[in-house]
Amino acid sequence: MNPSLKFLLAVLIALEISFTSVWTVNLALALMGLVIILFSRPKLKRLVLLFFVPLIPAIALAVAILLQSNAGMHFALVLFTRIYAYVFVGSAATLTTSISDLVMSLEQNAHVPSKFAYGFLGAFNLLPKIVSEVNIIRAAGNMRGQALHFWSPQLYFKAILASLDWSENLAEAITSHGFSEGAPRTYFKQIRVRWWDWLILFGSLAALQFVLFGLHLQ
Amino acid sequence: MATISVKNLSFSYPTEDGQKPLTLTNLSATFPSGGFSLLTGPSGSGKSTLMKIISGLYPKFGGLVTAGEVRLGDQKISEIPEQDRGQLVAMMFQNPNQQFAMDTVERELIFALENQCVPPAEMMPRVDRALDYVEISQLRHRQLNSLSGGEKQKVALAVIIAMKADTILLDEPFASVDPIARQLLLSKLAKLQHDEHKTILISDHDLEDYDQYIDHLFVLNGTGDSLKLLDKDAAERKMANFKRQDTSKQYLSLPAQTDHSIIEAHDLNLTAGTSTLLNQPNVSFFQHHITLLTGANGTGKSTLLLAISKLHPYQGTLLLNQKEIAKIRNKQLLQEVVLVFQDADQQFLNVTVTEELALSLKNSHTPEYFEKRLPDFLKQLQLADLQDHVVYTLSGGQKKKLQILEMLIMATPVMLFDEPFTGLDFSSLQTVMAIMKQVAQDCQQTMVIVSHQLFGLDALVDYHVKLENKHLQYVEGLA
Repeated sequence: MNPSLKFLLAVLIALEISFTSVWTVNLALALMGLVIILFSRPKLKRLVLLFFVPLIPAIALAVAILLQSNAGMHFALVLFTRIYAYVFVGSAATLTTSISDLVMSLEQNAHVPSKFAYGFLGAFNLLPKIVSEVNIIRAAGNMRGQALHFWSPQLYFKAILASLDWSENLAEAITSHGFSEGAPRTYFKQIRVRWWDWLILFGSLAALQFVLFGLHLQ
Repeated sequence: MATISVKNLSFSYPTEDGQKPLTLTNLSATFPSGGFSLLTGPSGSGKSTLMKIISGLYPKFGGLVTAGEVRLGDQKISEIPEQDRGQLVAMMFQNPNQQFAMDTVERELIFALENQCVPPAEMMPRVDRALDYVEISQLRHRQLNSLSGGEKQKVALAVIIAMKADTILLDEPFASVDPIARQLLLSKLAKLQHDEHKTILISDHDLEDYDQYIDHLFVLNGTGDSLKLLDKDAAERKMANFKRQDTSKQYLSLPAQTDHSIIEAHDLNLTAGTSTLLNQPNVSFFQHHITLLTGANGTGKSTLLLAISKLHPYQGTLLLNQKEIAKIRNKQLLQEVVLVFQDADQQFLNVTVTEELALSLKNSHTPEYFEKRLPDFLKQLQLADLQDHVVYTLSGGQKKKLQILEMLIMATPVMLFDEPFTGLDFSSLQTVMAIMKQVAQDCQQTMVIVSHQLFGLDALVDYHVKLENKHLQYVEGLA
């Protein structure tokens, strides 16, 4: 499915289940999300994390509702399943899309300015560097007899300085590789929105309305 | 093809209080079309600034042209629309780490071609040809982050070739490139000049290896107010100073039985991504000696230094004073070992030169020794007048000198240097080496130095260990 529409669908689903309270639909969405996740063949570790990380807020919420309010079992169940629905639907969208495909789709289909699209991509590619940079800054501190803790302003000063420096170099680099804001570009990989993308988007939303309100009316 | 003409150019980086000190003053020169020109000058003279003005990056990204102009052919560089500029002039940067926006080699090339509105069907053939030209087809799908400095510069050249830029500017491109990769890049550039009549302009303070390639030698003086084309004789004399000192006949001794080892490795295994860099049954570095560590680009020299400083994971045993490095607490370890990073910016913790030096003096193992000698060291390194400067605004060579000095002041028992001599002009290089030698002797230090540049090193180092085929071995020859 087209990456931009996929993310739009995930956001719309999340929005809609935030305002409805049918736990069976939440559960069904979570299961569908899980099936899509499993089709993308994730690593076992990631799968385990996906199950356990949401467990903490989900249980905390459910227990809080059960103990502290008189909304009852039904509402606790709704909140519990809602969290899993959020996580699995969101992961189903992210795990099946590469960052570069998403950025290209945002640029080509959603017409996000290319400056933002490539700025975002450049920044994303810098993420692993930021982690190692922080380690290096702390080591540089230790070598000079200056311990930098995570609350030391100096650590952030250096990290911010490094990112400013990177961003400037990145801007110079893409300019020297011919990038110019607002100028026309060609696309090696054309990302199209096809009729079935729209069909999946509207079909899924229609089905969601049907089950939500159908179940509600009963 | 186009001649680059610089006419009465003055350029300034305005300061916060509104002053406009001139970095370049009234420079004029013509870099001939289709020629291979080399621009040289001492560290901090403004070579990078001039290159960036010619490429059109400045003043867009900084500074101010206060007078004069630069023309490419008969067009003013500032009037060429950005999207057309890539085909006319492209630039390779000094720092290989910061010239790519994408994640993989192939995507970076495609990105550049997309920017030039190349039809999609033509892209792959152009990418194939460019990678093939620089002989790096095997790097095509590699992550740019995982490449070594030399490999990144080859990718940068491939991008320029794919873009079919007419004029190629290279700003100290070989600072982190080993001699073999450097020769390859230079011969590819010469081929581009001969076969495709490209205009090539390289800036470098180190003139080694250039004599067979270049047509014109330009010299920018230390204060940035004179840019001259040397005539043939003067150029030859200047190049002769840099003739690769024949290091092949210089010999060092091998470690003696009586040497006391301070760093020891047993069955050490180092990896980067999925590839094994080092697989070493046994090796030691010896106390109170200076050891040179060499090897081709990407063989893992820097990684070994990082492992010793606990900044890169390792498998096997790696001992400092008989203690497993992985088990020593960071703070304690780095009181015993310091790493002088390849990128000087990473070393700095403060804002001005004075603050940087003060921090080192405060926490030094032997503050008295350095308090006495600091003014003299600063003078020798030509840093004395720069004390209230912000460290990040210093030139590449000045940063390097300050970085080495402030780390020497710490007087830590073991010092690891990762390419400490890049960006240093000839006289700075000799001063730095002399100071390193003096401090190492007086403070009884152990040093391990990774360096591509071997000039004059026979006077500094005691031993030479080579990293080849994933293996470290002590050798007698320097080359």
